[in-house]
Amino acid sequence: MKMRLSQLLGSFAITIALLTVLEVVTATVLPALGWYEYRLTFNVLIIIFLAIRLDSPIVPWMVMSLQVVHSLFSVEGWALGTFAGLIVMTSANYLKEVLHLTSALITMLTVQLFQLIWYVTVTMIICLKISNFDKFGMIIWSFIPGSILLSMISPLLFWTMEKIWRVPSEGGPRGVEI
Amino acid sequence: MKLIQESSKTKIVNNLIVGMLAVYGISQKQFNLSEPSLFHQVVTEVISPVQEGLANSKKSLSSLWDNYLSIVNTSKENNVLRKQISRLESDLTSMEEMRKENLRLKRLLTFTDEQPYNKIMAQVVGWDSSNEFKVIRLNKGTKHGIRTMAPVVTDHGLVGYVYRATENYSDVLTILDQNNRVDIVVERTRTHGIVEGVFNFKCALKYITRNEPVEVGDKLITAGVGGIYPKGLKVGMITDITKENFGMTLSIEVVPSVDFDKLEEVLVLTPLDSGKSASILPTQSPVIEEKKI
Repeated sequence: MKMRLSQLLGSFAITIALLTVLEVVTATVLPALGWYEYRLTFNVLIIIFLAIRLDSPIVPWMVMSLQVVHSLFSVEGWALGTFAGLIVMTSANYLKEVLHLTSALITMLTVQLFQLIWYVTVTMIICLKISNFDKFGMIIWSFIPGSILLSMISPLLFWTMEKIWRVPSEGGPRGVEI
Repeated sequence: MKLIQESSKTKIVNNLIVGMLAVYGISQKQFNLSEPSLFHQVVTEVISPVQEGLANSKKSLSSLWDNYLSIVNTSKENNVLRKQISRLESDLTSMEEMRKENLRLKRLLTFTDEQPYNKIMAQVVGWDSSNEFKVIRLNKGTKHGIRTMAPVVTDHGLVGYVYRATENYSDVLTILDQNNRVDIVVERTRTHGIVEGVFNFKCALKYITRNEPVEVGDKLITAGVGGIYPKGLKVGMITDITKENFGMTLSIEVVPSVDFDKLEEVLVLTPLDSGKSASILPTQSPVIEEKKI
């Protein structure tokens, strides 16, 4: 299924708006309600969706744009997540023949797997930047509780994203070609 | 066939370009200090008021929720009375909140008299949305005299320092963050060490040799070296000491004196001569001069 440029721009604008709202929820609403310890990194979830479900040469640029939005709410910046996003995309590309998100459980497990790839990449870069690999395990561990929660939310978010991107939900490996 | 090949070529080229940009971005990234780009400044100024509004509505939201819960399942006859009670309770809650806020501000003000700095009171409006960074956003910026590297405190002790600032908002790298290292002195033994953020809202005290007589319960204060934090600010307390069978130093766990779960207002300390025209980044070095009255 092919997508027109105008459709693409519309869907992408809605995705950016959704990410902004979710970032505000993570950065302000949840801490205001007493949720301090673990962050729900919705940018990761949205980028994993784009990596798995869209087949387009411009996805890397979309990943970068989403990370720029994320950098407004985090000192992480855009580059780290963009790099991790590209690694996730490449991995998804290699696994595309076996990726079929046919049930909520499979979606959760797939998302957990890709989150793990994301966090290992990000942690390795952070450890390289701070020249201290002693913290590798500790940083990875700090991601785990939030990532499990995100995986549990993922079927709902993927369903929403499928509506935004008009991807058929029965789901082959690649929903939309742009 | 040709089309598929071309599309795949475009994908590779796009991946390479974005990948190279990302690698360049990572190489330029500093996790302990940042000057916000114009884009970042503009968008932060647009988004942060929403965050501020949501942070401020916390009290009214919880009061609204309490009222809703109290009204559910009441009979019609009691509705008027209950509503009245709810209103009074809500007023009482607001007054209690105001009383607590007054108390906190009073304590902050008493505390600030001891510090030879300009004190800028600011409210916490958000937290960093990534797991690996412990950063808070304040509702004051360069317009109010805040500058990067300025220490941030409460009456309980050290919070962190200003990592980046826009005109009306600033981000503070807290002592819980792994990129923030604080030079400290153990109050009782005068032993020097470095406090680093770990995770789970705790810190680690590093470079304390095995023969140092530090104990659980020892209080840590800033050493005043390093050019960011003034001397004598409370940092935390030792809660656990582990002597490994190897290595020259102790493994020490520290609980910060500031309760980050309940952080609402903070004070940003700027040098007394720093006016509102203070630049975003220090021009020569990040060292802040300590000037007494």
